[in-house]
Amino acid sequence: MESIDPKCTKLKHEFDACFTWWYSEKFLKGSKTNDCEQAFRKYQECVKQALKDKGLSKMINDARPSIGSRFDTE
Amino acid sequence: MRLFEAAHVFKHDWETVSLANWRKYPNSKTPHVRHVEILNQDVDPSTGVLRTERLIMVQQNVPALVRRVFGGDTSYVLEYSEVDPQQKTLVMQSQNLTFSNLLSVGERIEFRPDAQDAGHTVFTQSAQLKASGALFRLANKIEDLCWSRFSDNAQVGRLGLEQVLTTIMAERKAMTQAQ
Repeated sequence: MESIDPKCTKLKHEFDACFTWWYSEKFLKGSKTNDCEQAFRKYQECVKQALKDKGLSKMINDARPSIGSRFDTE
Repeated sequence: MRLFEAAHVFKHDWETVSLANWRKYPNSKTPHVRHVEILNQDVDPSTGVLRTERLIMVQQNVPALVRRVFGGDTSYVLEYSEVDPQQKTLVMQSQNLTFSNLLSVGERIEFRPDAQDAGHTVFTQSAQLKASGALFRLANKIEDLCWSRFSDNAQVGRLGLEQVLTTIMAERKAMTQAQ
């Protein structure tokens, strides 16, 4: 699956692969370590830029309370 | 306002179904889901709960009236979820980002182990669709059309999850055979 910005697709795939491994082999088995931190940061940075370019950041922040999201736009 | 509710039992344990949830896209049953991005994610150090925020982009053919009123066929949805690996709960809430001044669609999904059978997982889904009064006499029709589409998407969504579960089981079988 492509990322909303093709520039981020490779980073997305790398993170997705790490996450699905970590989720079943670590997280569900009780491990509290975050093995995919690095891969996530790279992917996240790329996507955040894409969101800004598409003008989605404000809409996202406005919708957060209605879904109980604890995250905040930096 | 229209309400939507659905429930289903997946014949796999909660761990497997929750994994399938993360591996759901892409699948051949839900081609309308074009992009899924994780915007934020962390594990709460005190509770061990995995918190995730995702952006989902959907594009599909819509009835002419919907296309006219909304001005397009592409929409974005924001989803927030929490996975508690000890309690074995996966709860997801989502809200549409686009056309929110015309129609509000809020959805809640939960996956929990089946109390009758630990090898099964109960899925519950509920959604609220509310058109803006600014649509005047079109509000009811828009709600009906969108509820109908939501219901169709919910059904193929479940089929998509079943498809991913089949894939996961096939992978596990292949791995045990290889050993």
